[in-house]
Amino acid sequence: MPVIETDGLTKRYGSARGIEDVSMTVEAGEVFGFLGPNGAGKTTTVRVLLDLLHPTSGSARIFGLDTRRDSVAIRARLGNLPGDFAYDPQLTGRELLTLLARIRGVRGLGRAEALAERFRADLDRPLGHLSRGNRQKIGLIQALFHEPELLILDEPTSGLDPLMQEEFMALVGEERERGRTVFLSSHDLDEVERVCDRVGIIREGRLVAVESVAELTRKSYRHVRIELAGPPDAAEFAALPGVRDLAVDGRTVTFKTSGPLDPVVKAAARHTVVDIELSHPTLEEVFLTYYEGDGRTAGAGAEGRTAGAGAEGDGAR
Amino acid sequence: MSVATETSAVRRGSPLAALVRRGLLDRRRSPLTWGGSLGALSALIVAIYPSLEDQLDELADSYPQSLLDAFGIQDLSTPEQYLSAEMFSLIVPFAIAFYAIRSVARAIPGREETGGLDVLLSAPVRRGELVAAALVVTAVATAGVLAVVGALTQLAALAVGVDLPAGATLAGLASSWAFALFFAGVAMLAAGFSGRSAAISGVAAGALLTMYVLDLVGKLVDGADWVRRLSAWRYYGNALVDGLDWAAFAGLAAVGVLLFALGGRLFARRDVAG
Repeated sequence: MPVIETDGLTKRYGSARGIEDVSMTVEAGEVFGFLGPNGAGKTTTVRVLLDLLHPTSGSARIFGLDTRRDSVAIRARLGNLPGDFAYDPQLTGRELLTLLARIRGVRGLGRAEALAERFRADLDRPLGHLSRGNRQKIGLIQALFHEPELLILDEPTSGLDPLMQEEFMALVGEERERGRTVFLSSHDLDEVERVCDRVGIIREGRLVAVESVAELTRKSYRHVRIELAGPPDAAEFAALPGVRDLAVDGRTVTFKTSGPLDPVVKAAARHTVVDIELSHPTLEEVFLTYYEGDGRTAGAGAEGRTAGAGAEGDGAR
Repeated sequence: MSVATETSAVRRGSPLAALVRRGLLDRRRSPLTWGGSLGALSALIVAIYPSLEDQLDELADSYPQSLLDAFGIQDLSTPEQYLSAEMFSLIVPFAIAFYAIRSVARAIPGREETGGLDVLLSAPVRRGELVAAALVVTAVATAGVLAVVGALTQLAALAVGVDLPAGATLAGLASSWAFALFFAGVAMLAAGFSGRSAAISGVAAGALLTMYVLDLVGKLVDGADWVRRLSAWRYYGNALVDGLDWAAFAGLAAVGVLLFALGGRLFARRDVAG
């Protein structure tokens, strides 16, 4: 049985965009990435799942239970880290955890203490005195300390330094090893690619696609910019597998590739390389790949922009 | 994966007890700050009573009758009457009702604005439990503040040898408590519609002020006495002097609780503001 199952889940607010007809399933033991730019409807989806928002139409089930009727039973078995975690600023982390432990019927703060030690979180300072990153650590601890079956993380690493982001992601991996299900909402493609099994892509309130990370990576590409000591031979790079949108400007060649990088590096190495740059596409570019290349969301509003060569890229390797 | 189909299988502690405990801890300084300042003022009034005692009747006679009516002053010949006119006709009920309104606004919409409610309601807490906890915490904290006011007032009376019956003070405090609970209920009812704490405090404080004006109009305008029935101030009365009107006391408190229940139902049905 899926851990999360939504069926035509729709939430409309007055003027703001909510979510529209979101149907997806998250299986037990998987790390499911929920990828979308800010304002796409990620937090709205999470808040509907938690019964903080009531859906306009459609339904959702978690652990096979209805999110509206059985919300308390569901929440007893999950942990949630809101995107911008905050609680009464005068309370210390320990006081908040004690309150939540009493609510949840958890005896002692043993696991919370262990997590605090790992994340170097200060449980004895008022939350209002902590930096955003340090507050977020307390947020993670409160989401995890009762060993929930399902962990919901809404943009968990925003505001954290890279080392802590690393530690967060390692922890998500460990939770998966322990058989937990993780629902990770994020706008960071790299983050999602690294830890997730499958990814749901949401844009403008609609679920555009659900893919395995392997498939997402296959559809993804890199921007390549190589500056050589002399003028490059365009044909030489254009012939490499997966290369498209090639342009030469003086001694610099730029292109996109969804193929292996090894032939690119070897082709470049035949010349004197002055500079080489590799970058991931932006999230927006990935979305355009789906909008233009998939056809499943035709008419959903690709805003008439040209999509580079997303569609061609799909079959380029 | 096991599926809990019965609520009884849900692992929960005691959310209501936990929330009440935390709410009272959060308000542990209120008796000192609110109770201390109101109590000090009340004690001061009692302490200066002996030095004014002889002039007070003349003073009362010199006031226009409408002013005396407005403040419910019959005369000022006893300490209860003086304390009632100076403190319990206006300052204490206004302050304690405002304290109760603020307590409710902090507990629910205040947390809604900061995102704290998302944290609490990610745990297995029913919204009704949040509301019940806010009611209990507000009722107990308000009683705590009033207890300090009463204690300081009686201590001052004892110190300067003023004959202020403890029963009279207690009656004044009890009616203030029920009055505060009523306006806490108004605040909760408003919280059933909105998650903005300033708006909720504004609505409830506005009701407090509007009802005061209604009560005043009813007292001062001939034939308008009936409008006082719409005002909680009428039922608050003047318990310090007249003794506690048990029906009014129970009525105010019961309507307050009812408004909490109604506000709670509305709150459970609405979205939590994010």
